[in-house]
Amino acid sequence: MPEHAPAPATGKSAAREDRGPEPVHVLLVEDDEVIRRSVGLVLERYGYRVSTAPDGLSGLEAFREGGHDLLILDVMLPHLDGIGLCRRIRETSQAPILMMSARGDSLDVVAGLEAGADDYVVKPVDTTVLVARIRTLLRRADFTADPAAPAAQDNVRAFRDLTVDTLALEVRRDGEPVALTPTELRLLLQFVAAPGVALSRQQLLREVWDYGWEGDSRVVDLSVQRLRKKIGADHIDTVRGHGYRFRR
Amino acid sequence: MGNGPGNDAASPRAARIALRLADPRSLRWKVVAAVTLATLTMALGMGVLVHRTTETRSLGIARSNALRELGLEETRFHADRRGGETSGEPPAYYVGNELPDPLLARIAAGTGTGTGPVTWYDDRNPMRIRMWAGQMADGQPLGVSVDMTIDDLSRKALDRHMRYAALATLAVVVPTTLLAAELVLRRLRRVAGTARRIRHGELDARTGGRAGKDEIGEISAAVDHMADALQERLHNEQRFTADVAHELRTPLTGLVTAASLLPESEATDLVQGRVQVLRHLIDDLLEVSRLDTGTEQLEAYPVPLGELVTDSVRRAGVDARVDVTGEPVVRTDPRRLDRIVTNLVVNAHRHGGAPVRVTVQGTRVVVRDNGPGFPAEILEHGPQRFRTGSAERGHGHGLGLTIATGQARVIGARLELANAPDGGAIATLILPEETAAEPTDEG
Repeated sequence: MPEHAPAPATGKSAAREDRGPEPVHVLLVEDDEVIRRSVGLVLERYGYRVSTAPDGLSGLEAFREGGHDLLILDVMLPHLDGIGLCRRIRETSQAPILMMSARGDSLDVVAGLEAGADDYVVKPVDTTVLVARIRTLLRRADFTADPAAPAAQDNVRAFRDLTVDTLALEVRRDGEPVALTPTELRLLLQFVAAPGVALSRQQLLREVWDYGWEGDSRVVDLSVQRLRKKIGADHIDTVRGHGYRFRR
Repeated sequence: MGNGPGNDAASPRAARIALRLADPRSLRWKVVAAVTLATLTMALGMGVLVHRTTETRSLGIARSNALRELGLEETRFHADRRGGETSGEPPAYYVGNELPDPLLARIAAGTGTGTGPVTWYDDRNPMRIRMWAGQMADGQPLGVSVDMTIDDLSRKALDRHMRYAALATLAVVVPTTLLAAELVLRRLRRVAGTARRIRHGELDARTGGRAGKDEIGEISAAVDHMADALQERLHNEQRFTADVAHELRTPLTGLVTAASLLPESEATDLVQGRVQVLRHLIDDLLEVSRLDTGTEQLEAYPVPLGELVTDSVRRAGVDARVDVTGEPVVRTDPRRLDRIVTNLVVNAHRHGGAPVRVTVQGTRVVVRDNGPGFPAEILEHGPQRFRTGSAERGHGHGLGLTIATGQARVIGARLELANAPDGGAIATLILPEETAAEPTDEG
């Protein structure tokens, strides 16, 4: 049981604390009606604005209408499954995606994360856990540079073909901007903060995903893989049996 | 693990093989004994037969030679009697008392019945073996002898050669039999080994089929078919458990979420409590069925053991004291280790008595409570799903320990359950010693 489970908000103010005046807009794609409605109600009770879709295709349509801050996708969906849907969404959007896997089987989980999901929960999920995961994802999406850090000249760091602006949160490769999901950005910033230092999977799991030991280190491996694809594989070395190291 | 895998691994293997060879109860020696006996019997029979035949034949020849000689000598004897003209050679016949007594007795007996010349085989002196022939001539016993010493020696040589031949045959037959028996026994041993592996849970083990159409092939095929049937049945049951748990998930998810929407009340607490129990039960069932199918993959890396255990106990939300000695680091899968520790602590808390104490030392994690201890059934047969042992151990579905044991197996650890002499259950998790070399896995 995570101890950071937030209490249900009185009224609809909780999400505002996170995101300012506009409530956070969540798109929930789930084929089981009871789950769809009850998760929707729970999220609304926590102050989120919720749209729902019962299958993959209508989920994609709903997503194209835009304006969603976070997506929750079931893996098993009619017409277009959650993994395919996730991949389609990633083509145009970096919004945080949470997969709801019915199995927790390696295949489901890995496929979802490879398709670009940021995290997964296994059904049945406690509402407190679900909300905690959503909050972590949103916090990551909402990530801003440490305001205490002076806007010094070292906020832009160059690593051969890669430049990372830790204040503007801008990543360029050979001068071209690279689109990173919040998770990938957060991961990269962890690396950039300590170049040349081997970071263990557990450390990354804790810092980026907010997990304890119960966390699945595959999410680290798969996210690092995705990050490598975007910024170039030679920037991150694998430290065998330990974790990863960013090359100076 | 030895440091010289070539030698160290080979010598116990060689010793084992030698021990197996030397085992007098082995079928191998019985087969060899039977074959040796058969060979010897045959050699003996042939030897006796050949010996007899040769003897009879050479005695027959000697007899007729002696009789012919007697005829010649008789003429000469008569000539000697009549005129004293000597032919230069000394006479080759013996007369009267010069003859050996047995021959005289035979001549005397033969004369009575009128059967003419008699013969006698004289082997009194092994250096001078003779065939005698004798008859009455002119009222005197007259006899000649043919030397048979050479003949006897050659027969003895023949006997000797036959013995050598028998030994040579044995020298060929015994090793050949051993080899042939070994081929058969190896196939039998493979069948036995397969059955043993199946017993130890290796359900994929098969004898390897290409055994031929003989009886051993038959038993191999029978064992294989039995294993197939067993595996099929087990898989069906595992699949059923997994399917049931899986099918229950979707309605349960709705139930969990919907129950969390209920307004606060005593009834809500009851419903939510039961829903939680149901949830954990189905989670555990799925975990057990995943462990059963053996498809679990290990994701191991160095983990600070003390930190992990302290964290797991804290997150399990039960009251337990944790003592860590030193700063042990183990190479393991932290999620699985977390599951084991959580299950052990929750189990100790639920079934045992407070205080629950957790000790971490080296690669050992010990969870101890002050309750009535593990029931004898669990100590004897290991944890069984849906069996909590005695009633006083309270409620619980008994999957916790099953999962802990299963997960321990996946991470290569050993879970030992025991009762303290002064009461209370002790669960000891012994993690494998971390190999000194840098870990080699990746991916």
